[in-house]
Amino acid sequence: MNADEPNKTADQSSPEPVAERWTVPIWLIVAFGLLFYWGQLFLAENAGGFSRDVYGPYHSYEAVNMANPQDPAARLRALGRQVFDKSCTVCHQPNGLGKEGTAPPLAGSEWVQAPGGDRIARIALNGLTGPISVKGQEWNLTMVPWRDNFTDDQIAAVLSYIRSQWGNKAGPIDPKVVAAARAEKHPGPETSDELLKIPVQ
Amino acid sequence: MSAIASRTPTISRNLPQAQQAGAGASCPVGMLALFAGAVVWLFIASLLGLLNSLKFHAPGFLAGEAYLSYGRVHAAQNAAFLYGFGVPAALGLGLWLLCRLGRAVLAGPAMVFIGAILWNIAVALGAAAILCGGSTGFDSFEMPAWCAPLLFLAYLFIGVCALLTFHQRQEGRLYPSQWFVVGSLFWFPWIFSTAVLVLLCVPARGVLQASIAWWYAHNLDTVFLGFAGLASAFYFIPKLLSRSLHSHYQAALAFWTLALFGSWGGMPDGAPLPSWIISLAVVGTVLTAVPILAVATNFYQTVRQDLGALDADPTLRFTYVGLIFWVIAGAQQIVGVLPSVSSITDFTWFGVAQKELFHYGFFALTVFGALYYIVPRLLGLENSAWHPRLLKLHFYLTFLGVLISYLSLLVAGVGQGILLANAANSFPDVMRRTMMPLRVSTVGDLFVVAGTVLFLLNFAGVLVQSCRQCCMARKERP
Amino acid sequence: MNSGPLLFLGLLATMACSWTGFVLAPQLQLGGLTQTNTVAVGDASPQTYPVAQPGLAHAGAEIYRANGCAACHTEMVRSLDLGSDLHRGWGIRRSLAEDYLFEQPVMLGSQRVGPDLANVGRLSDTNGLFVRLYDSRLITPGSVMPPYRFLFETRKIGLFPARDAIVLPFEDAAPPGYEIVPRPQARALAAYLLSLRQDGYLFEAPPPPQPKTNAVPTNAAPAKAVPAAAKPTVK
Repeated sequence: MNADEPNKTADQSSPEPVAERWTVPIWLIVAFGLLFYWGQLFLAENAGGFSRDVYGPYHSYEAVNMANPQDPAARLRALGRQVFDKSCTVCHQPNGLGKEGTAPPLAGSEWVQAPGGDRIARIALNGLTGPISVKGQEWNLTMVPWRDNFTDDQIAAVLSYIRSQWGNKAGPIDPKVVAAARAEKHPGPETSDELLKIPVQ
Repeated sequence: MSAIASRTPTISRNLPQAQQAGAGASCPVGMLALFAGAVVWLFIASLLGLLNSLKFHAPGFLAGEAYLSYGRVHAAQNAAFLYGFGVPAALGLGLWLLCRLGRAVLAGPAMVFIGAILWNIAVALGAAAILCGGSTGFDSFEMPAWCAPLLFLAYLFIGVCALLTFHQRQEGRLYPSQWFVVGSLFWFPWIFSTAVLVLLCVPARGVLQASIAWWYAHNLDTVFLGFAGLASAFYFIPKLLSRSLHSHYQAALAFWTLALFGSWGGMPDGAPLPSWIISLAVVGTVLTAVPILAVATNFYQTVRQDLGALDADPTLRFTYVGLIFWVIAGAQQIVGVLPSVSSITDFTWFGVAQKELFHYGFFALTVFGALYYIVPRLLGLENSAWHPRLLKLHFYLTFLGVLISYLSLLVAGVGQGILLANAANSFPDVMRRTMMPLRVSTVGDLFVVAGTVLFLLNFAGVLVQSCRQCCMARKERP
Repeated sequence: MNSGPLLFLGLLATMACSWTGFVLAPQLQLGGLTQTNTVAVGDASPQTYPVAQPGLAHAGAEIYRANGCAACHTEMVRSLDLGSDLHRGWGIRRSLAEDYLFEQPVMLGSQRVGPDLANVGRLSDTNGLFVRLYDSRLITPGSVMPPYRFLFETRKIGLFPARDAIVLPFEDAAPPGYEIVPRPQARALAAYLLSLRQDGYLFEAPPPPQPKTNAVPTNAAPAKAVPAAAKPTVK
């Protein structure tokens, strides 16, 4: 617009600024480092492991978990899983499908899902021998007894676990059921015919 | 539009006429439109703020109709300040600085002009829509969804011109101001498009909307407006003192750490979000202490030997006061985010005070300072074009207004927080007891409005002078 | 730092950092939130949470949004260690992400000029809300909440008084022969406010521990058998 007129501003005498090359003072670097370190400590303490479920004032998932009323059924199943993984997967397989010549399947088994759980409590305690029909198939193997290896709670736990795994939809088993079965002191392993005589609740 | 001819290497730093006024030599209307619009919107925003402030004295004031109820006016005020004043002022400043520091003529001034007009139309429509009930419900992002395409288009026009100007720079070396300008130019579309997408187009599920709205608002303030204001400070303070900036490397540290850590934040400590998000926000905000320290010491070393000269020039005065307010606002933000403090100060006037200081104390003052320098040069006038009395009054009114408003809100906020921390104090009781400082803040708002009016008058005076000069020049030609 | 492209790349990287941490990661974690079950306390069985708002409440949310209520009110309760929210009875627990699953838009607010509203549905009743919207100073002298009289209509009583005419304190009641009736917006807004309640404890915000009694532990029989698997009931 006024390009022809001499610009009388002081611009010509005042050049554009430049930046000198002084280095960043060491204290600032140290401060940065310290703040960064504090930041990491803060995150370690308060970020809750970057979990979706950790809200203040809790600091970790475990803390939230512990603060929750403990669901007995869930705890039982967790314990049962431990037992199962340790002792039962060898024969019944981790996927509960069993193996030809080794053990019948637990997944979808009508024995496992029968209400009350009395029969499988006895199998677990006393073992099983002789022919048995599982899911329409005939099996004739031997299962060792576990009464001397596990407590009532543990057996109830593992039975509760298998009853809720692999699509099985039966409820947990009370340790008292296992205790009652143990108290009957059945000599030797069970057989299918004997078990079938026990009424299902 | 006509592009720059060749990239001739500049031998001296003193440029021929056309390139000095250069920024607007061919056509200053683009940048002038941005600046003029910005200042008018600042006036409107501060007026709306005053109106809302008055409602605390008389809640029934202008409450008869929905259009002027507190909530709508609050939303409109935010929109007017951030999108009417903040973004255009930042863009105008950025364009001018890119021209100056790059020794280039503005590329596509007509595009800039069209962009400015389009942007102002979009904001005007948006603000009107907000008063009619069209607010989105998100703080700092109130403008209705249909404004977004208009804003995008306008920004595209202006942004492309800015990038072209930057690309056509003659000066190979980049000065810190240019980093900040380019940073702000890119930051806005990225955060704005995220907000539009995630909040309006395909709304995120549940609380994510709130967290992303907070992230956006924080980035808009701390990074976008922060970059724009700092760009101006980095340019004018060394330039007008005829000194060089103390440290290039410190400026670089400040730039990158502000970009990195300044963009993490904005979540209130008590928000319904998993604690990792809150913790990251806290850490990011606390780490902004690094850029604050870097900038403060850099400038202190730059001006140390010339402290007396800081008050000599109006631009310098506005800019250094603005910078001090930036440091204070930043420090307050850091203190306010620490869990032990935020449990008291969150959701009180404390946060409002910090925002006010940042917006008016830092950004508005810095922009005023820059405008006092830029506008005469765009119009081919001298600094003496400004009316000195109006200028002085403007400074004192705005400075005092900001100070009064900030301090009273700070006191109100801390008082409210401490009282509320005790559950025995009923909420209405606490509000009654914090009324007094709130009433004082209205005085501050009044001063700011008055100061802005004086600036507008001064600005109009300069425009009139420029027109007169132009007419006289035309008359003198045969 | 003189290269434009490098500057751009650096900015992109820093923006990507922030975007990943605050937009992408939360979306990945919280974007797939669905209804969950409350934590069963005592004999109560878990409930599905949250339940969707009724339609009128959704319309009310639009009124809330349009009038900028979030400028003065928050809708989030903080945890015990971060303020006196819970002590004031503003909720039974802190707010969580699940609480806002069905809100659109989510207007958490950022300032408390007025009290928090996260659980106002549990603490208020319809007439109380109407009176407060009509003129808050009738209930709370000195309140700074603006009167929203434009949400109401003063009209002559017809054959019978309107069922939802608001009941005001005697000295502020409508002139004789007139009644104050909420307009549809007021009804919608009240429905929305009444839908604001954050009931039920969730996993992330479990119930406070039961106080320990001083009873001497006995050798009585252990607690009853494990409860049957909890089934959520949909309200």
